[in-house]
Amino acid sequence: MYDTCNFFSFFGLFFQRLKLFCVGNLSLVELASDEIQVGILALLGITASLLGSFLILRRMTMLANSLSHTILLGIVIAYLLFGYTLDLKVMGFAALISALLTALLTEGLVKLFRLNEDASIGLVFSTLFALGIVLITTMTRNAHIGSEIIMGNLDAVKLSDLKLTAAVFALNVGALLLLFRGYALTSFDAGFAKQIGISPRIFHYILMVQTALTSIAAFRAVGVVLVLALFVGPPLIARLLTKRLKSMLLLSSLLSVVFAICSVALSRHFYNVYAAPLSTAGLTATLILIGFILSLIPKWRTA
Amino acid sequence: MIFLDPITRAPLIGSMLMTLSSALIGVFLLIRKRSLVGEALSHAAYPGVVIAAFFFPQSDALKTFCILGGALFFTLIAMSFMDLLKRFRFHEDAVLTLTLSTFLGVGILIASRLQFTNPLAYVQIGQFLYGQVATMRDFHILLYGTLSAVVVTFVVLFYHPLRLMHFNPSYAKILGMKHRILERSLKLLTALSIVIGIRTVGVVLMSGMLIAPAIAGRSLSHKLSGILWISASVGLLSGFLGNYFSTEITSVHLPIGPMILLCAASFALLALFLSPERGLIVRWFRIFRFNKQRREENILKTLWKNEGACSLQAIQSYLPLPKIVLFLELRALIYQGFIEKRALYQFTPDGRKKAARIVRLHRLWELYLFHQHRVCPEKVHTSADEMEHIITPNVEKRLADLLGNPEKDPHDKPIPRGEV
Repeated sequence: MYDTCNFFSFFGLFFQRLKLFCVGNLSLVELASDEIQVGILALLGITASLLGSFLILRRMTMLANSLSHTILLGIVIAYLLFGYTLDLKVMGFAALISALLTALLTEGLVKLFRLNEDASIGLVFSTLFALGIVLITTMTRNAHIGSEIIMGNLDAVKLSDLKLTAAVFALNVGALLLLFRGYALTSFDAGFAKQIGISPRIFHYILMVQTALTSIAAFRAVGVVLVLALFVGPPLIARLLTKRLKSMLLLSSLLSVVFAICSVALSRHFYNVYAAPLSTAGLTATLILIGFILSLIPKWRTA
Repeated sequence: MIFLDPITRAPLIGSMLMTLSSALIGVFLLIRKRSLVGEALSHAAYPGVVIAAFFFPQSDALKTFCILGGALFFTLIAMSFMDLLKRFRFHEDAVLTLTLSTFLGVGILIASRLQFTNPLAYVQIGQFLYGQVATMRDFHILLYGTLSAVVVTFVVLFYHPLRLMHFNPSYAKILGMKHRILERSLKLLTALSIVIGIRTVGVVLMSGMLIAPAIAGRSLSHKLSGILWISASVGLLSGFLGNYFSTEITSVHLPIGPMILLCAASFALLALFLSPERGLIVRWFRIFRFNKQRREENILKTLWKNEGACSLQAIQSYLPLPKIVLFLELRALIYQGFIEKRALYQFTPDGRKKAARIVRLHRLWELYLFHQHRVCPEKVHTSADEMEHIITPNVEKRLADLLGNPEKDPHDKPIPRGEV
């Protein structure tokens, strides 16, 4: 479908087909691989940037980084229990295990041994990740654990992946819409939230589980590193441009959709024009870095 | 044996040298509460590795040098990038995450190009993600050994300035120390040790190698020199054990890098639990002992209030303790010779003396609060109930002197005489 497109004609064709899709003249099965990629990236991007905004406000992003490592162990445990079927239930279970394991161990080390939080985070995630790798290599008898975990393989995604991502997206956005005031209040003024009976701890754990679920949904398609970039990149750019929470959430979602379309288009461009296939996930991360540096420029003088 | 075998020798010595340098540098990161900087920097080094492999795929030695240089270069870039972002008032947490994910993303982007132009180099740099020790040769030992030696020498030579800089920076400034130069060299060496380390354990696990040995050292020692020694030994030992396990255990394949990290993490956990001064078990034991002492002293006090003789039920009505605990404590007190059991529980002479002292401390403290701090007499009891178990003979004497060896407490009850 997009075999002859360059960067600019990609957009023309894409929006034309998007219009058809919205009117209903294009069914799900007719979607081209590129469109599925854009869909997955955009849905993940919106989910990640909504969650990421709160993670940044609560200074929890290194915990999210920690989670992006420990989900490996969660997935291995889920694999041992249920066999290899990556449906929503198993993913939810893996997310729950890895989020709780990470959160409780990290907190436990801080409370029991009076470690600094950062040292505790580092110790927990590297140990659990090492455990995950050792388990995988002993189980599969394969020394070469793929780099797919880190960078994913966006070219191999299927329609089922898009549906899975959409389910995770719906879950996360639903929770956010339902409990928006709780998220906002516990992020900005934990003390006050506690006073009026909203527990910041519960929201902390909910956010951890959501982050884990999003990372697991992402890790096959785009890898854990990109999802991390999606968690922090767009919200930080939005943070530079606005001061209100709601506009920060909207702006960062919009930005991540733009990043999604641009990176797939760019990847197409490189493949069709220069015959150079590039990792779309890597492209997205690079675009986010460039976008971030560009958005710094207007504030250069004040810094 | 494992040291002599030409196949295992190079990986073993190589990884031990690497863990040594990261263990030393990790101590300084831990002290500054910046342990996670290592995580961001190790990820940021990856694009350097990839670019080096991209441009210089010729000879083995040249490539190793280029990869080292590239990684070092990108680590330093990431450092300045993070310093820059701090001036925009971003919180460090978000800065670290952004740096590590986007830099690694750039590395992955370039690597995906390499996959088609030079598949062999692509496989080789893939090793830097999770670490690959088995492919090390004697040449690598020499190179990495030299670099580790640089790190060790720096820490040894500049031990005193480094200590001063971390624990008393303003004094260091007054002494006219070259603060900035030292700071910069430490940064450079942090980058260097990360670059050395990612060959063994990979960028993903590197931060663990910086943190785990340092935690072990920190929980076993108070002095910087002690922390450094212990951390270095833990680093060396886990480097050795990781290799040992994965070469000796042949029934399952155990990857070396993660095994090294698991060893280091187990050492850290062991140290946290078992440290003789600050370990969890010792702390629990101390709490247990204090609670036991407090229960025993409360029982003695109850006996005192009841004219020195009391039944089990009567004691229980004063102290809300389970019967079994009370019974055991009474047995312990009988064993220590403070009370004896006739028809009722009674004091021995020793027990009477001890109980008198506890009551004395309680009333002295009440009087002290009333006299010196103008606390009203109704409110002094609770605090005295705590302090009576804590005050040492030394403090007791000073309290008595301060209050002029008083006879009565604020409630007009007599204060028993102390032992002379």
